[in-house]
Amino acid sequence: MIGERWRIPLMLAPTLIIIVVLFFGSLGYGFLQSLGWQPNIGNTTFSLDAYATVLFSPEYREQFWSGLWLTIWVSLASTFISAALALMSALLLRQTFIGKKIATFLFQLNLPVPHLVIAIGMIFLFSQSGLAARAAAQLGMISTPNEFPVMLRDAGGVGIILAYLWKEVPFFGIVLLAILQSVGEDYEDLARSLGANRWQRFRHVILPLVMPGLLSSSIIVFAFTFGTYEVPKLLGVRFPEMLPVMALEFFLNPDLNARAEGMALSMIIAAITLLIVVAYMWAGNRAVQR
Amino acid sequence: MTVRNRRPFFYLAVAVICILLVLPVITFMINAFAFRWFYPQFIPAEWSLQAWERLQLIPPEGERTLTNWLALLGSSDVIDALVVSLVIGVGVTLFSVVIGLPAARALGMHKFRGKRIVEFMILAPTIVPSIAFVLGLNINFIRWELSGSLFGVALVHLVPVMPYVVLTLSGVFANYNPDFEDQARTLGAGPLRTFWYVTLPAIFPGIVVAALFAFLVSWSQYLLTFLIGAGRVITLPILLFASASGGNNAVIAVMSLIFIAPAILTLLVTSRYLSGESGAVGGFGRI
Amino acid sequence: MTHVILSNLTKSFPGNPVAAVNTMNLDIPSGQLVAFLGPSGCGKTTTLKMIAGLITPTVGDITFDGASVLAVPPEKRGAVMVFQNYLLFPYMSVGQNVGFGLKMRGVEPKVIDRKVIEMLDLVKLPNIANRRPRQLSGGQQQRVALARALITEPKVLLLDEPLSNLDAHLRDEMRELILSIQRNLGVTMIFVTHDQEEAVLLANQIALIFDGVLQQYAAPDVFYRQPISERAARFFGGINFVPATRRGERLETAFGAFHVRTPGVENAPEGEVTLTIRPEQVVLNPADDENCTSGRIRSRIYVGTYTRYKIMIGDIEIEATRSGDIDHALNEGDAVRVGFPADRIWVVGRS
Repeated sequence: MIGERWRIPLMLAPTLIIIVVLFFGSLGYGFLQSLGWQPNIGNTTFSLDAYATVLFSPEYREQFWSGLWLTIWVSLASTFISAALALMSALLLRQTFIGKKIATFLFQLNLPVPHLVIAIGMIFLFSQSGLAARAAAQLGMISTPNEFPVMLRDAGGVGIILAYLWKEVPFFGIVLLAILQSVGEDYEDLARSLGANRWQRFRHVILPLVMPGLLSSSIIVFAFTFGTYEVPKLLGVRFPEMLPVMALEFFLNPDLNARAEGMALSMIIAAITLLIVVAYMWAGNRAVQR
Repeated sequence: MTVRNRRPFFYLAVAVICILLVLPVITFMINAFAFRWFYPQFIPAEWSLQAWERLQLIPPEGERTLTNWLALLGSSDVIDALVVSLVIGVGVTLFSVVIGLPAARALGMHKFRGKRIVEFMILAPTIVPSIAFVLGLNINFIRWELSGSLFGVALVHLVPVMPYVVLTLSGVFANYNPDFEDQARTLGAGPLRTFWYVTLPAIFPGIVVAALFAFLVSWSQYLLTFLIGAGRVITLPILLFASASGGNNAVIAVMSLIFIAPAILTLLVTSRYLSGESGAVGGFGRI
Repeated sequence: MTHVILSNLTKSFPGNPVAAVNTMNLDIPSGQLVAFLGPSGCGKTTTLKMIAGLITPTVGDITFDGASVLAVPPEKRGAVMVFQNYLLFPYMSVGQNVGFGLKMRGVEPKVIDRKVIEMLDLVKLPNIANRRPRQLSGGQQQRVALARALITEPKVLLLDEPLSNLDAHLRDEMRELILSIQRNLGVTMIFVTHDQEEAVLLANQIALIFDGVLQQYAAPDVFYRQPISERAARFFGGINFVPATRRGERLETAFGAFHVRTPGVENAPEGEVTLTIRPEQVVLNPADDENCTSGRIRSRIYVGTYTRYKIMIGDIEIEATRSGDIDHALNEGDAVRVGFPADRIWVVGRS
């Protein structure tokens, strides 16, 4: 019989070993490497050179800062726009109507479809010879493919944002539908009988009720869009370049010194996402204590 | 009350949303069978199975005999990749559920010192992007000679998979009444039979959901497989990504369809277990 | 002070051939406290929501002081609902909850604050405006929900099972509060309940509803003395039912003939009927022999403040209760004389 004392640690051990060794261990190892500690090529001293190079050197600083702003812009825009569109869709889809089952199924179809595939779908849809351009040509709005606006591989990251919208609207949508369903319509009925009109019911009842769920899923979406690689690699441009793509390029550079810079960049990405999450939890705690 | 709405406008809005969302999947279906689909044709003028033949998913026309069909199994890159993806996905799913179950039980049913820290540690990989840990991991895996092996790739897939498995199952255990197990024990069931006849049926829907997410998260990994597989473990996303940046549209579309079909199928089969309220739905944000 | 009339009110839901509420006619005078009583699924909540405007009737009309309100949306109707589970907005303070209705009307914040304090005083919960709903007990939440409804000065106050979520001692308190508010403000109140005790405790008038159809609309005591049907009598705790044939004052049963002289019985059915009498009205070993028969005590159950006797008269079981201490002269197996006072017997149609 195993002692009570060791039961819970033993139950947790297999999972924790995986997480601690593979995740935290690698994170720590990456951090050491970003400080220039690379014993295999004889560097055993620590320095902040890699960070300085990425952030301030004339060679890379423009690339880094433009990439940082692009990454922040793309993540924020994707998160906010998809949350807003999903809220609208969820308010429609929660109603009772003929064909609701089919509509809900189609709405959720993209949930298990990987981001990579959606990104390819964007190429098929929005490239200058894609389905949208063909539709525009059929309608006589453009005469040659070049007249169709450049939406993919553009400096503003429009193509990347579009791909995220297609993925994250259903994601936010399923979360919101679940919340709306569990809350029911009684609060709205009550507010209505107390004199709240349609807009007031949205503003003072629905929005505050879904807000906690919306915020926590926003964190998931923001963190994901901030750190993912495939979508910006397929739909982005070389300059400005999203940070995860830049980090991998540094890392895969045959020059082993560039490796430290790639590590530094990935640490910066992790730090920014962690910062956002901590800020959110702090704000959330304050809201609870109020 | 919400049943009263402006019907034509309402149906139009729902239709627009749903059609827009499924448009990518529809373009794959069109592209996969299109032949010489020149701009600005909106619908292809000619259809063919040429891309399927090129990927050796079906034998060329006139040669579709049983032997030729069977011969595809060894010769098609896509089928090979599909098998590799499946092996990794199923292996990761089984292993993650087996090691995740006790951890989830500890977190869902027991109070202990340091529980918050353990929860934080297990959830951390859901927030920190893969790129942040995989670079460091890559170097060590090369050193430990795990790089480029199926086992190594499956091992690293566990990092994004474990949080969702534990999260889903601990939610199930939080609402689970262990008195049933004690009741079974007093009625003469041993520990194994108690688990089989009492615990397992009670948590089964949770296990289905956990397995679904484990499989889907593993199935859709690109970056981890790319860096740890080191070009020797070719899964479907690796193959797809390589041809996506400059291949034949029809070929890309066929591969995309083959890639998403099992994922959609998995969701369809298990959707009745998915309530949408469990925290695990967060896993969809990771696929 | 609003006079509410429901005329021919009917609601059918799509896909259901049976109407949830069927041709309901009801006159609720101003300042009354009326209960809609019936088992769950009988259509009482549907009726309440139709009065609030949250459900649109299929047929029929609802008038407040003679004017139809069907075209008035719920937010303008002045019929405010208090839900069974209180539904205090969890993200607002108690004060914000109470002030919600005035905020929706664009009332100045200063005025709202003052009225909120007034209302919380009215429901006897001063100084809690800054608390969060989840810090309150169930009874307190109920009072806040009441204050939130009353602040809008509703024409009609609609309550869903107002006492059912409360402990026994809180029920009395809440009953007092609702009655005193009703006396002071004179607002017309309608509440629904499945619990006849709750209805009797609170209401001036009870509307008994089965299967979407109004059965009987009367003061609470009438349901005990003069129920409309066996089902209505059973709903109010009636258990003694004996088949009988009635001709005028005379009732023939399997164990003898009885006279019936209860006021109002002249309007009750004739011919094949069912005799009913409440257990507390059955007299054991009465002084005189009118309306009397013989039976045998099958069981005696002592319940503290009273004793329950089950008596077999032939093969019919009759229950009688006696208040006070156990009577040791009446034991199981003893023969007993059973009297049905002529002014306590009631008859309903044979079902």
